[in-house]
Amino acid sequence: MAGARESRLSEKRVILKATRFDPDRDEAPRLQTYDIPFADESMVVLDALNYIKAHVDGSLTYRWSCRMGICGSCGMMVNGTPKLSCSAFLRDYWPRPIVVEPLNNFPIIRDLVIDMDDFMHKLKSVKPWIIRKQELPLGAGEHRQMTHQIDEFKQFSQCINCMLCYAACPVYALNNEFLGPAAIALGRRYNLDSRDEGLKQRLPVIASSEGIWECSFVGECSVVCPKGVDPAKAIQQTKLDTTMRFLLPYGNRD
Amino acid sequence: MSAAEVEPSTRAYHQPLGAGWWMRKGHYFWYVVREFTALPLAAWLLWLLVEIQRAGGKADQYSPHASTAFVIFSVVCLLFALYHSVTFLSLAGVIIHLRIFERPVSSRLIVLSQFGLWAVASAVIAFVLIWFAR
Repeated sequence: MAGARESRLSEKRVILKATRFDPDRDEAPRLQTYDIPFADESMVVLDALNYIKAHVDGSLTYRWSCRMGICGSCGMMVNGTPKLSCSAFLRDYWPRPIVVEPLNNFPIIRDLVIDMDDFMHKLKSVKPWIIRKQELPLGAGEHRQMTHQIDEFKQFSQCINCMLCYAACPVYALNNEFLGPAAIALGRRYNLDSRDEGLKQRLPVIASSEGIWECSFVGECSVVCPKGVDPAKAIQQTKLDTTMRFLLPYGNRD
Repeated sequence: MSAAEVEPSTRAYHQPLGAGWWMRKGHYFWYVVREFTALPLAAWLLWLLVEIQRAGGKADQYSPHASTAFVIFSVVCLLFALYHSVTFLSLAGVIIHLRIFERPVSSRLIVLSQFGLWAVASAVIAFVLIWFAR
């Protein structure tokens, strides 16, 4: 019985169209079609790409690492939607062809690989690490936190820097000076951390015209986020907090 | 092999957005609709200012604009205003984070309170307008 099922599965095929772009030869990207076996119901788009790389065309270029939705390396457009290719099951698309393209809104370096320098610079600009006015010696012990203090920022700490939110954001597409969803969410994650004292260092970047105020709340960043971070919420909450800091007496606290 | 051939290429392809980006997804479409609702509302408010100025003249010469086209335009503006208000007030649950007695207030309750305040404010304004119109 199991053998018959495996036999049926091995006969199944899936059409996958992947973007190809060789910067030395191509003027613009093109789609190349691959017809490959759909050998296993648990196959994801990344498995299909790995099959193509191993058995059909070794020159196909893409990023991946952990294969379990943790590293954030394998973000791609799957049938027009930003997805982690390790979490996009072929069975959800089959028997329709699957179109795999590089993430929208980023320059393409080769095939499915995008240039992520812009995001990395923006991420660094919000200083996504704990800042202390004065570092305590290790002997002074750990910085303790209560559960409710962790709850304040835990959601935003789930970001894996996969950049799907940037690919989904038309504001970033229209103005790539925009700081963007993930960078702001991570900035907020540290601003809400009871151990952190770096709010005033981050605010000039986060609360600038190219920061939170550029966002007009499309909300698609939160829809595509594979980790439930809800960057749109982080941005809107930061807008409210920043306004309160400006309006309220003694609001400009550390 | 020359040095130029072994150097990695730095030419990247910049993907164009395209004028029809807002038609790609329903979410984008409704976002654009939401943003554009502000335009007819602004036009209607400008018209209201004109009417107020006209009403400042002699009472017996004032006649409010009541053509069918204007009524239709006003109804469309009202629908846009309702859509814009609903989307705005629904955001309250996302944005506002309150704690009462150390317990977070649920988003649903915050949204309901916003709609409740909206209903009360609308009722008060309607009462004042009807009162002065009598």
